[in-house]
Amino acid sequence: MAIEIATVSNNPPPTPPHGEPAEASRHERVRLSPLVLIVLLTVALGVTTLVSLATGAVSISPRTIFAAMLGYHPLTEVQRLILFHLRLPRVLTAGLVGAGLALAGLLFQGLFRNPIADPYVIGSQGGAILGACIGISFFSQWSVFGFSATTLLAFAGSAATMALVYSLARSAGKTNVVTLLLAGFAISNMFSNSSYFFELFDRRGDDNRVLAAWLHGVIGVPTWTELAISATLFAVAALAAVPLMRTLNTLVLGDEYAQQLGIRVESARVSIILIGSLLTAVAVSLGGMIMFAGLIVPHVARLLIGPDHVRLLPVTALAGAIFLMLADTLARTLFAPSEVPVGILMAFVGGPFFLYLLRKMKRSYTV
Amino acid sequence: MSCLLRMEAVHFDYRGQKVLRQTTFDLEEGSCSALIGLNGSGKTTLLRIAAGVLRPAEGSVRLLGRPLEAIPLKEVARTVALVPQQLELPFAFTVQQVVEQGRTPYIGMLRGPGRNDRLAVDRALDLADVSSLRHRVFNELSGGERQRVKIALGLAQQPRLLLLDEPTQNLDIGRQVELIDLLHFLRAEGITILASIHDLHLVDKNFSTVLLLSPGQPLATGTPEQMLKPSILERAFQCPPDRHPLLIERAELYRKEAR
Repeated sequence: MAIEIATVSNNPPPTPPHGEPAEASRHERVRLSPLVLIVLLTVALGVTTLVSLATGAVSISPRTIFAAMLGYHPLTEVQRLILFHLRLPRVLTAGLVGAGLALAGLLFQGLFRNPIADPYVIGSQGGAILGACIGISFFSQWSVFGFSATTLLAFAGSAATMALVYSLARSAGKTNVVTLLLAGFAISNMFSNSSYFFELFDRRGDDNRVLAAWLHGVIGVPTWTELAISATLFAVAALAAVPLMRTLNTLVLGDEYAQQLGIRVESARVSIILIGSLLTAVAVSLGGMIMFAGLIVPHVARLLIGPDHVRLLPVTALAGAIFLMLADTLARTLFAPSEVPVGILMAFVGGPFFLYLLRKMKRSYTV
Repeated sequence: MSCLLRMEAVHFDYRGQKVLRQTTFDLEEGSCSALIGLNGSGKTTLLRIAAGVLRPAEGSVRLLGRPLEAIPLKEVARTVALVPQQLELPFAFTVQQVVEQGRTPYIGMLRGPGRNDRLAVDRALDLADVSSLRHRVFNELSGGERQRVKIALGLAQQPRLLLLDEPTQNLDIGRQVELIDLLHFLRAEGITILASIHDLHLVDKNFSTVLLLSPGQPLATGTPEQMLKPSILERAFQCPPDRHPLLIERAELYRKEAR
């Protein structure tokens, strides 16, 4: 397969005598053509799904899976049960959660013009957790048009929190990014930790453990119906995001610039926050508290194909799915037979990455 | 010549401060005007009102005879382009990607940029003489290069009126001259220009009209000879006549002419 590699800089400026050598290497960005990258990522997604299906407490080799798919050699009853009732729903869920968080991260980073905005940092995840806890504790049997009350309340919680954080950071027609991040962080912590009280007063005994696990970010095994509903919500949000990606490119120039170019800034902002909140809510209702996936994935995608959001949308979604499938497979197998919540794993991977970005940002944008 | 933009009795307050008072002026199509005035006298505010980004508290703004607030945002953006002082990008957009944003008022939400848009971007890059920078990352450019790229972004809007907020700020004298040449060139291409200029040395020979803003006073308009009199500048900039070389120089010039 031919891979087009374009180096972006024609004449990198000479390295200053006391400058950082790392700065010079930033000029030599290697960028793939978007179409090639999307094809590569789709293939990678297929391979990742297969590998994730094959690994686990009971190993079923990819060969066996292939043979069964082609109808050569039927699976045993146990293998069938493990694959279709346990592993496949879980692997697909991990993919959905990863894609959802990564896309939400991409939307928030573009909207707030900041590479360290992420559904967790910005408060959207905390709000979704609080909403989902209310749903699980009080309305677990309710549903509206087949969508569980938990997901809907997670969405409401996320959107409301975003509105709160945003209004806190807004003064005199300008958004203070530092206030935004700190307010988001404080509220995210407050709301996600409020879940403790739901655990405390939960009377259902056994479910308590489910709630606790969910809060640490364990990807559960949903029913096929639950999975289909979540996938539908994700698809709706992702499709709704498509026409907004060009707008996001313009918003990156700043509010005033965007307005002077004919963008209705307020309504664009509300749409982006609602879509980001829906994506966060889908991810949270399936996987609980998983930090930093929405931070790392868009950043890596930007390194691969540059900051154009139109191209970033499919790349980020695919990369997010792959990333969390791999992370969840690791979480299942790293300390087998015990399982680490993937949320905990991500905290240890994402934390250092967040610090790295913070350092880098300090260098290029002094506030 | 027809009137492109007309402001009548425009008032604007910013955080309780009176910024614009009784601001009235006409911009003739094809003119090249300089907007001068001391810091905080409302130059940026006036440009933003002219671009439709800010609404005046009182008074009316008319673009080609129509009230500005009645014209859809996108249509305004196809007629007027504002080149602001600052553009900071959080991500590594290339010059071409930045200039492509100028096509926003022409592109629908779903339809991508077409042939016309690509041609307009190429032409804007050419006019502003930044074609050779098109694949460079915007944040890594020098101040003079950034200024040109911002102008190219404005030109991609294919405007009839180009508003520039302190385009010569932070440029060395060589880049200042290049920029003024670019403005002359654009004027020859039929684009009306209104630029706020801090350096009064650049105003004299290069602009057909001068708009002078003084705090709390109505806007004054005239030719450079009329407006750059030491007596007027002294009052408008609250500067003692014998302290700044520009005022001393202008005083000598007018004395010579009087003789």
